[in-house]
Amino acid sequence: MYQFTIRLVVIITIIASPNTFSHSDNPHNIPEGKSKADFLEQCVEATDIMRKKHFNFLYHQRDKTVIKGIRTKKHSLANCVDCHVAHNQQGEPIPVNSEGQFCQVCHIKTATNIDCFSCHATVPRDRMSKNILKDNLNKASDLQNKTDKLLYYYQITLNEK
Amino acid sequence: MKNKHTISRRNFLVKSITALSAIYVVPDIFSNVSAAKPPNIEVSSKTRWGMSIDVDKCVDGCTSCIDACADENGLYGFDRPETDSQWIRKLTLKDIKTEKITVLPMLCQHCENPPCCDVCPTGASFRREDGIVMVNQHTCIGCRYCMMACPFKARSFVHENLTKQLTNSPRGKGCVESCNFCANKIDNGSDSTACEEACMKEGHNAISFGDLNNPKSRVNIAISKKPNRRLRADLKLKQTVTYSGF
Repeated sequence: MYQFTIRLVVIITIIASPNTFSHSDNPHNIPEGKSKADFLEQCVEATDIMRKKHFNFLYHQRDKTVIKGIRTKKHSLANCVDCHVAHNQQGEPIPVNSEGQFCQVCHIKTATNIDCFSCHATVPRDRMSKNILKDNLNKASDLQNKTDKLLYYYQITLNEK
Repeated sequence: MKNKHTISRRNFLVKSITALSAIYVVPDIFSNVSAAKPPNIEVSSKTRWGMSIDVDKCVDGCTSCIDACADENGLYGFDRPETDSQWIRKLTLKDIKTEKITVLPMLCQHCENPPCCDVCPTGASFRREDGIVMVNQHTCIGCRYCMMACPFKARSFVHENLTKQLTNSPRGKGCVESCNFCANKIDNGSDSTACEEACMKEGHNAISFGDLNNPKSRVNIAISKKPNRRLRADLKLKQTVTYSGF
């Protein structure tokens, strides 16, 4: 019986450990305005190399990803965004290219206009967020339709008068 | 008469388990080697992705594949069907002689001789080593020659600024886009597409996807069960998406 309880305890700790000790995916533990990157020693390469050459890494990685199908995380833009995105008071991520955020601060200073984020996501957005996104979009389009109809009837009544 | 070749119980169990594993487990491991690709290995021509669509099983009015595609790739448009992006759509065909109506999903046919790649001035349309025809949106200039060249109207153009793209599916204004067989999923080791999963979940099983070089893949099983044909075979494009049942 004693052995059995010990085994049970060991098994439960093994199974439950990822849930109890993992903080990596939980944005609530990151203070307001801070990102995961703020708590790390350095980026994927040494800081001075990253400052000078981050775009080279990105250019290289994008061709490898699109043409050769290599999806390693180290030099990928998705990983940049995931780590460097800051969170607001509600724990929601702030887009990395918005004013005062990680990407934009330097690029404004050096007058560099990048268009990564006309296509790429500015916040980590995965499968889980899709349904919420769809709902919001549907609601928005419903509202739009309703206001359009109201405006239409309003114009008709105006014309009649 | 006493049998000389008696073996102990332990020996018998060990040998039989080894034999069984050799018969059942090993071929399964080897046949799946080509399909599941770890993210750090580049794609090779050992795999050749393909799809077989059974038109008889496709249900009129069901849009689960289209919805799944939109969810997977974040294809939320502006409620303007004329210009919104569509990677997969349902077609209704009517046979002139018999008046039989067939409904089939139409997507990028992933040709082996893709006309979109022939006309692309920048090389943005390309055929990947594993047979997936894709748009490299980093080099696409939005000239839309490929849309003109495609006989299946499989490609769409993004006309408006997009804001809420998904991380796994970057897309934006001024680029042509089309079905890429969920390349993001495949590169991370999956061997199915969102539309196939949705069709299976719905219980219709009309779409079978897989590696054409692997005789045990779902697509090859589907092809061996029913004669498949390519749409507009006279164009000799050698599509890897084939249709059966009409």
